[in-house]
Amino acid sequence: MSDKTIISIQNVSKTFVMGDVKVPVLHSVNLEIHEGDFVVIVGPSGSGKSTLLNLIGGLDRPTSGEIWFDSPDQKISGFSDSELTAYRREHVGFVFQFYNLVPTLTATENVQVASELSHEGMPPEEALNLVGLEHRVEHFPSQMSGGEQQRVAIARAIAKNPRVLLCDEPTGALDLSTGRSILGVLHRLNQELGKTVILITHNSAIAEMGTLCVHIGSGTIASKESNPHPVSPEEISW
Amino acid sequence: MKPLNRKLLRELFRAKGMLAAIISIIAAGVLFFVGMASLYYNLETSRRLYYSKCRMADFTVTVKKMPVVELEQLHEIKGVSEFRPRILFPVTVDLPGVERPVSGQILSLPEEPAPIINNIVIRKGSYFTDSLSSEIILNDTFATERDLEPGDQIELILNERKEVFHIVGTALSSEYVYVVGGGGIVPDPANFGIFYIKESLAEDLFNYQEAANQVVGILEEPSRKQPDDVLDRIERKLEPYGVSAVTPLEDQSSHFFLSSEIENLKTVVIILPGIFLTVAAIILNILMLRLVEQQRTIVGTLKAIGYTNREILIHYLKFGGTIGLCGGALGSTLGYLFAEVMTKHVYSKFFAFPKLVNQPYPGVLLTGVVISLLFSLLGSMRGVTKVMALSPAEAMRPKPPVRGRRIWLEKWTGLWKSLTLQTQFSLRGISRNRMRSLAGIFAASMGTMLLMVVLLMYDSMEEMMDFQFTKILVNDFEIGFKDPRGYGAFLETKRMPGVDYAEPMLHIACTLQHEHREKKVTVTGLIPGSRLTIPVNTEGDREPLPTVGLLLSKRLAEILDVGVGDQIWFEPTDREEELKKVPVAGIINSYLGLSAYADIDYLNRIVDYEDAVNSIQLKTVRDPTVEAEFLRQLKNTPVVQSVSSARHDRQLLEETMTGQLMISLSITIVFAGMIFFGSVLNSSLISLSEREQEIATLHVLGYTTREIARMFLQESLILNLVGLLVGLPLGIGLGWLMCVSMGTDLFRIPFVIKPGSILITIVVGTGFTLLAHVPLKRSIDRMDWVSALNVKE
Repeated sequence: MSDKTIISIQNVSKTFVMGDVKVPVLHSVNLEIHEGDFVVIVGPSGSGKSTLLNLIGGLDRPTSGEIWFDSPDQKISGFSDSELTAYRREHVGFVFQFYNLVPTLTATENVQVASELSHEGMPPEEALNLVGLEHRVEHFPSQMSGGEQQRVAIARAIAKNPRVLLCDEPTGALDLSTGRSILGVLHRLNQELGKTVILITHNSAIAEMGTLCVHIGSGTIASKESNPHPVSPEEISW
Repeated sequence: MKPLNRKLLRELFRAKGMLAAIISIIAAGVLFFVGMASLYYNLETSRRLYYSKCRMADFTVTVKKMPVVELEQLHEIKGVSEFRPRILFPVTVDLPGVERPVSGQILSLPEEPAPIINNIVIRKGSYFTDSLSSEIILNDTFATERDLEPGDQIELILNERKEVFHIVGTALSSEYVYVVGGGGIVPDPANFGIFYIKESLAEDLFNYQEAANQVVGILEEPSRKQPDDVLDRIERKLEPYGVSAVTPLEDQSSHFFLSSEIENLKTVVIILPGIFLTVAAIILNILMLRLVEQQRTIVGTLKAIGYTNREILIHYLKFGGTIGLCGGALGSTLGYLFAEVMTKHVYSKFFAFPKLVNQPYPGVLLTGVVISLLFSLLGSMRGVTKVMALSPAEAMRPKPPVRGRRIWLEKWTGLWKSLTLQTQFSLRGISRNRMRSLAGIFAASMGTMLLMVVLLMYDSMEEMMDFQFTKILVNDFEIGFKDPRGYGAFLETKRMPGVDYAEPMLHIACTLQHEHREKKVTVTGLIPGSRLTIPVNTEGDREPLPTVGLLLSKRLAEILDVGVGDQIWFEPTDREEELKKVPVAGIINSYLGLSAYADIDYLNRIVDYEDAVNSIQLKTVRDPTVEAEFLRQLKNTPVVQSVSSARHDRQLLEETMTGQLMISLSITIVFAGMIFFGSVLNSSLISLSEREQEIATLHVLGYTTREIARMFLQESLILNLVGLLVGLPLGIGLGWLMCVSMGTDLFRIPFVIKPGSILITIVVGTGFTLLAHVPLKRSIDRMDWVSALNVKE
């Protein structure tokens, strides 16, 4: 953890327009995330946490407000489509609840899809080693358990060597012990490689392992707490 | 290999069944393109080389007789570059061991080989030598058919006497690429010979010292394209010598048939591949739309990881591109082979070239692959761009479930409720994905159209042959004399052994003129109530011979722009007669040539003959030995200049045309079947994959796989039915257009629709739809019901 702000969210609102109906999802959100933070954003479903993560990851643009990366250098909320793509390519790694692996590619190949995008990418084998999957490299997603698939997804996310890992309910589809091991991997990446991790979950138990815990509800930030003593994933239970 | 390319290959492999169907449709389109284009170039190149080698004439003028010195006048006509006089006469051939006298033409050639107009290419033996005056060169196709070699002798009956000739060589000439004797339209090389003899010999044999009866010539470049003016001037100059025909190259019989074939190829090369490739592109479009929709999350993930829209676009375009390349490569290869086989085994039978070019054209092959690629990419575009438009966050969310909505049929509550649940399911399925249903209808209508057109052409050809040879021309033989003879010649012939029934005829070559329009034709004089040549009106009934006036075929009446009651000028071509005005007494139907008939006595009167006869048509006794005796006597009757047989013409036409049409019909059924099969299979497999969960639920509820399959079948059959209803009139329309556009002065094709053909089209279309249901049923049987139920949303 450092004092350097890596992401700065200023007064961000997001409203979806569905036909004639406008659905406000986020309202005046402000948040500073420092390099090396392990941020856990907790909230019930429909609270806007996924939308916030998508905005940070450059998958979507805010309706109003600004988002800065490595602030104040790059205002990603003002990026064009191609600038957003370049941003995602270079700086961000995504981990999804349902892994989103390409079913027709093996573990190695799924990681390679991402690693070859970046000049600083690591060899797929190394990324798979980091998540403890060195023995399953030639398997297809359908031949792996959920936990293994999520490890492949994490390996894919870190293979580009991004500064920020964005995890959308990474344990949502997993049982307790598998979930814990996934959290362990993320924790290790944060501790050992210094990656900034932003994880969203509806499971408040996970919040305890973050250095910063953000509670979100009805599109606004209800509370932000720095946690000087995060617990290790093994101690968490739900 | 890049992982995304690996993904591509694995996905292509997984969808192999469906892709095979699309690839075969694309390949069919490319096959037709490459095949027809190669054939076009083969024929075009062969023609160009051959014409330049033989110095093919731009025009031919036939006169009764003219001194060669008088021809010098032609030099005064601007536009005439060069010309050559020659002597040309019909002959009959007495071949040992062949019952029937065989017809032919004899032509004069210079004593020494020279680069003359309408030159010959020696195939066997040599040009004339000095050793014998009676040397003769035969056309190679006739020599081959009749097993004649240089060194053999041949007996020809010409100028009312039999002459023996010594064969020195066999040859081909560019003016006889497509050799049709008499009034036929298919080549009959065994029964029509071309014979070349020395000029001096021809002069002696026909008493044409320093004279000729035909001029062949070459025009200067600007007049070549518009020869009419120059030819008019030539005709006026040669008028005193009895011009019986002025034929520009485009009307020259061999050139006409060859060019028609080349032109037809040009049309087909666009239409057929167009149909197949469009169908393939539409099917591919649907497949890609489905594929990309299934891979929404993958697309979203790739975007999230940082792939650019362009990279993702290219990835999915590669999918269509690979299909296009495979179809293109397969089609190009098959197309080349098709052209090779067609050139070697079909065209070489119809067209006599010394060397029929048969080679691959890299440009054509490449174009085949490129257009296939283009259509495939076009077909993939819509599906791919649709997902490109989604933001990555949106793309990653599964597609919202299809909204159920009422379809228009449900407005009639009573009707809707009377349908079974399965039919309702099928109808909803059709209306749910309108684009796909429209594509299914389009494919079915194209398949139907193709079948219908070919069947219509088959019916029309059959009708043409039937009409011409069972209604109009029903003689066994027609024998022609060199000059008109008295009625006694008819009576003599009638008394010949084996003759069952005979009728006299008088053919008069003439120019018919109405206002500024004129046409050179032959008017045939018949006896009233003639039984062997029967003028038939447009309603298909016998048209009685008028005592005064002419009966003109519809096409001829159109050319002259006359109707019943109009007066036209009649001028015999080879006799110096004053112009006579004759009325048009009736319009008749005829598909071969431009016919005109008159009462034989009336015709005799207007040309100032008395009971003249120059042709006799007859029926022989149905006994081969008696008929053989008749033919033997005929061969020994030197006054006979030509022998033709409607019975033989009909057999020949039937064999050739029916054979050709049967081949093209079988090919069409296979290819139209591919369209039906491919489109139905694709759309129902996609529909199945879309509705897996729904179907699994029905299965769990207790529906059998057979009942579920029936719903899909019903859906396919409904689309197929609509496609048939659209395709039938399209096919009929296209068939009509083809019949009309293919009609020429030489032959017209009637337009006939036989209910049987419509039935065959429906049966074949439905048959292939049912066939496509077999693999679908297997997919339903093999479906993993449990996992289909647990689709994540």
